[in-house]
Order: sequence, then C-alpha cells, then structure tokens
Amino acid sequence: MTPQSPRERHRASHAFLLLASAFALLFGVILALLAIDQQRVLLATQRLQEDTVPQIIRFQRLARNLEHLRQEGERIFSATTSEGRQQSLLLVMLVASHPSILEHPQAAAAARDTERFLVDASNQANRDAWSLQQRYAEWQNLSYRLSLLVDDLSVQGASLATDDLRDMMAVLHLARTKLIGALLLVGGFLLLSIWLLNRHLIRPLERIDQALSSLNVDQPAPEFPDARMAEIHAVEEATRRLHASLVSNDMARRELELLANRDGLTGLINRRHFMQLAHAELQRAQHLGRPVAVALGDLDFFKRLNDTYGHAAGDAVLRSFALLLGESLRQTDLVCRYGGEEFALLFPDSTLEQARVLVERVRQRFAEHDIRLPDGLLIRVTLSVGLADAGRRTIENALHDADFALYEAKRLGRNRVIVASETT
Amino acid sequence: MSLLRTLLLLIGMVAGIVQASELRIAIGVQDKAQLAMSGNAIPPNMPGTELIAVNDDLAREICRRIQARCTVTYVPFSEVLPGVESGLFDLGFGNLLRTPEREKRVAFSAPIWQSSSRLLGTSATAEAFAGKLGQPVSLDNLRDARVATLDDSLQLAFLNAIASQRGLTVIGKKTAQEAIDALRDNSADFALLAVLSAYSLLNRDTTRQIEFVGTAVADRGLGGTVHIALPKQNEALRHAVNRAIASIRADSTFQRITRRHFPMGLD
Repeated sequence: MTPQSPRERHRASHAFLLLASAFALLFGVILALLAIDQQRVLLATQRLQEDTVPQIIRFQRLARNLEHLRQEGERIFSATTSEGRQQSLLLVMLVASHPSILEHPQAAAAARDTERFLVDASNQANRDAWSLQQRYAEWQNLSYRLSLLVDDLSVQGASLATDDLRDMMAVLHLARTKLIGALLLVGGFLLLSIWLLNRHLIRPLERIDQALSSLNVDQPAPEFPDARMAEIHAVEEATRRLHASLVSNDMARRELELLANRDGLTGLINRRHFMQLAHAELQRAQHLGRPVAVALGDLDFFKRLNDTYGHAAGDAVLRSFALLLGESLRQTDLVCRYGGEEFALLFPDSTLEQARVLVERVRQRFAEHDIRLPDGLLIRVTLSVGLADAGRRTIENALHDADFALYEAKRLGRNRVIVASETT
Repeated sequence: MSLLRTLLLLIGMVAGIVQASELRIAIGVQDKAQLAMSGNAIPPNMPGTELIAVNDDLAREICRRIQARCTVTYVPFSEVLPGVESGLFDLGFGNLLRTPEREKRVAFSAPIWQSSSRLLGTSATAEAFAGKLGQPVSLDNLRDARVATLDDSLQLAFLNAIASQRGLTVIGKKTAQEAIDALRDNSADFALLAVLSAYSLLNRDTTRQIEFVGTAVADRGLGGTVHIALPKQNEALRHAVNRAIASIRADSTFQRITRRHFPMGLD
C-alpha cells in the first residue's frame, strides 16, 4: 500500500448532520423571512380593512354631504316660494351640522360659510325676492369652492387605498423576490448536497464495490484515492486488510496442502496424492492413446538394516534413496513413498521398455551408492522393482501387477527389475 | 374540569341568545303625544316622528336578522337608559351617544350613525343676544341665558358644567318638543338639542319661528357616534346585534331605512 500523508478526515455522519443542520437553518431563516413578509401583508390588509376602508368611507360620506349642501344651495336659488327656500335652508343647516363635516376643519369652514351665506341670502330674499339674482354670482363662487372640495375629498379617499395597496404590493414584490431567492438557494444547496454525496459517498462506495468484486489473491492489493470521509476510509482500509488476509490464507492453504500431500521424511508425495495424480494421468494417457507405465520398488533387507543400525539409519537410507530418485528421474515422472520402504513410480508417455530402462538405471545407481549413516558408517542398499504397463487399465490394477512383479523380483534374489508382462 | 367549564359557558351563551329571542325594545320619543302610542302605530305627519321611525325600522330589522320576536315600547328619552340599565328593556334606541359614564351603566352596540348638538332659538332672541354679546350667538359665547334641554342627556350635563361660569339657567325637559315649546312660550331663550331630533321637529313646523342658532358642535361630549344601549350582562345579545348592524350596513338596508325618513344619510 502506498503510504499516505496524514490527512484530516471527517465522519460522514457528522458532515451530513452539519449539512442537514445548515439546510434546516437556511430553510428556517427563509421561512422566518417569508413569515415576516406574510405578517406585513396581514397587517397591511388589516390596516386596510380596519383603518383605511373606514377612512375612505368617511371621505366619501363627507364628499357626499358637501355635495348635498351644494345641491340644497342651488335649490334655495331656484325655489319660487319662501317655504321652499326655508325647507332647503333647514336641510342646509342639518347637513352643515353633520359630525362628518364638523370633524373636517376645511369642510367645516366651507359649510359654515355656505350656511351663513345662504341664511343671509334667504333672509334678504324674504324681504326682496329679486335680491337672489344679484347674489347668484357670489353663490356660484361658493358652489364652485364646494365642488372643488368634493373632488379633493374624493381623490384623497381614493389615494388612501392607493397608498395602502402600493405598500402591500411592495411587500408582495419583496416576498416574491425572497421566494425566488430562497428557491434558488435551496436548489443550489440541493445540488451541492448531491455533488458532495456523489463525490464523498457514492463514488467511493462504487470504487469499493468494484474492488470487492474483483478481489483476488492473484491481483495486487486494491488502491483507493485518499478519502475525506472517515467511514469510507475505514471501509477502504478494511478492503485492503481483506485482500491481505486472502493472500495470507492462500499461502497457508498452499502450505497445508503441501503438508497433506508430501511425505514428511523423504519429501516425496504421499500415497494418497500419488493415487489422485496417477488417476488423472492415466485418464489423460488413455484418452490420448499415450503409453504409461507404473512401478513398485522396495529396498532390500530394510527390516534387517533397521534392526542392525537403528531406525535413524533406516530413515537416512530412505532420504538418500528419495534424493537419488529425484536426481535420476525426469521432471514429468511421479514418485511417492508408497509405504514403509516401498516406493511407487509412474512414467507418463513412456512405454514399458522405456520405463524399464529408467528403473534399471535407478536400481544400478542406488546399488552403487554409498549411504552415510548418522554415526558416519557407509553402507550400500539394493532395490527390487516390479514394473507394469498401465496403458489400458486402472491404476489399482496396474499397481497390483507391479506388486506381483516386485514379489517375483524378491523371490528371484532381489536387486533386480521384473516387468509384469514377463511373469504374467 | 375545563371541558365542563367550556360546556357551561356554551350553554350560558346559548341561553343568552334564547333569552334574546324575546326582546323588549325601548325607543325614545320627541313628544308627549307619542307616549300614548303602542305597537306599530306611529301617527303620520306628527312632528319628530322621523327619528322614531328610523329607530323603529332599524329595531325591527335587527330583530328580523337575529330572528327575535320584539315588543316595542315608546318612552321619553330620559327613561331609555334607566330602563335598559334596570333590565326592563333589552335594547334602547334614542340617539344615544357613548360616554364613559354611560358605559358604567349599560353596554353599547357598534355605531349606527353620528350626531351633533346645536342651539335653537327664535331669530328675535338670537338677534337680541347677538347685540348683547357683540357677535353672533354660539355655544362658545352664550351667557346669561335660559337654556332648555332633555333630562338625563349629555347636553344637560354639559350645560350644568358651564352654567355657573356663564350665568346660564338650565331647564330640563322630558322631550325635545317640550324644549322647543319652552322657546315658544318664552320660558327659555335657547334650547340645546341633538340636531337630528331638532330637525325632525322643525321640518314640520310651518311657523318657522324656531331656527338653528350658531354652529353645530360634535365635541365636548355633545356629538359623535350614536349607539344602541343594551344590558351590560348580555354579551351574546350585543354580539348578535353588532353582527346584525354589520349585515344591515353591508347590504345597504341601513341607507334605505334612513333615506326613507330623512333627506340625507345619517352615518
């Protein structure tokens, strides 16, 4: 693993808690801002309903009463009888006394002036009916003043609503801007969150998934870019440790397999493993029509050697023989310690004659080979071998024939190679 | 426990509304002759009936809106508030202004219209006093005069408050018509009355002896919004009446009622 410089890492749970908290805070602030705007709209609406609209109605009422006052003034000038004038005059006094006029200084002054003028004109008309015509121009000025005031009050009333609605619209525009800003902010925040999730969680997890899918002892340990998230880094480290563990386990398995298949004294494969390999080799040879031969060899007088020199000497002889076999046979030949001082051999792609030559050479070399015992004594040991063809039979049958030939070699005086076909 | 209290409160409110389904209504009148009237009988062409008629129509419309059966009784103005206060009446109509003192005695509905006060007198008396005062007579400069007004009215309270300072003699009358009659028989120099009450009396007075004097006043407790008086303990009825008033205003019924009897809007 490539050593990495220490880097600050953050726990994903903390990072996303922080992210969620920031989002909640941001959302809360946005909601609060919108709530403030909503409250302002509600207050503006309430003000419109409770203050402005009643105020508008007051202005309308005042304008209506002033117009009424003006109309009654006109009636006084158009009345043909004194009684008609008196009735209109009484109505002028009634209208001029209305609180809506009294509470508005400008209207009150106009109404007071109008009433005084009309009372004076009416009293004068009671004495001289033609006097009204002389004062009509004066009345027209007063009437015009009342009309202007009526118009002003109507406009003022409408303006009150306009101002309130303008304020409300400004708040709504502001709220809309904030809402758009909030949506952009939330959208940006979501994109950032997705990007961070993809960069720091999803892609690292995909890399880990890929690494775990292809995790193999034959492959090098997986490499990951340095992760910022502590949890991801931990999983990557665990993946690396898993690979190291797989490699270690494979090595152990191989060693155990070796121990299970080899003879501990001679280092040759054992009988069980020999039988497995021999079965496979015979199947291959028989399938391809290739020759194959087997042999069983036994060290002569080995029990007597043990009894004379001890088991340590016997072991030395066995190791020496195994070493000689390894040096004398081909790489493709199989040799095992079949049991005790007995050895089994298999010669792939070899006819019975070719095998006999090989076995004979081994026998001769072993017979001439000085074996140094643990106490330094040099001895020589001979070998008897039974050889059989295995080209068209099972390994068990072939070994049985070879064993029979070995028996014959022993019976005929030992230190010789007997081919099964020669005796059966 | 709180559930029980809520249930009891609801039962109490329902009971209040049920109680309001039989309403006794008092309407203040202008003239002694009107006191003899009963039921819906308001004699036509009688001076001062316009305001009674408006109150009468409004009372019946409110009763209809709150689905109550009403019994209308015409009483002198001075008996309206005591009648409502004592529980004799459920609703009191009579051009009643709302004041802190009155609020201690009765509850008030939402405003129904606006009122102001004004001096009345003969033109001769007005001219005579103007000569003495050196300026046209008004409530602000009136002094050394006999002034008639309604008993138990805000005008009476106002006049009593300034009487000693101005040298005024305040004369209480049971009805507006009595106050005007005092002007005719020269037992009073001026009368201080609500403008609407005075108008409805003067409008049918063909002698034209009595006229408005000076300018109207809506401050100093002599004007403002007019309300219906209700017993203080019946909030459910007050809410129901206020809803009825809002409804009557919203569909223009109120304007139609006032226009039926007056040549101008009263609100």
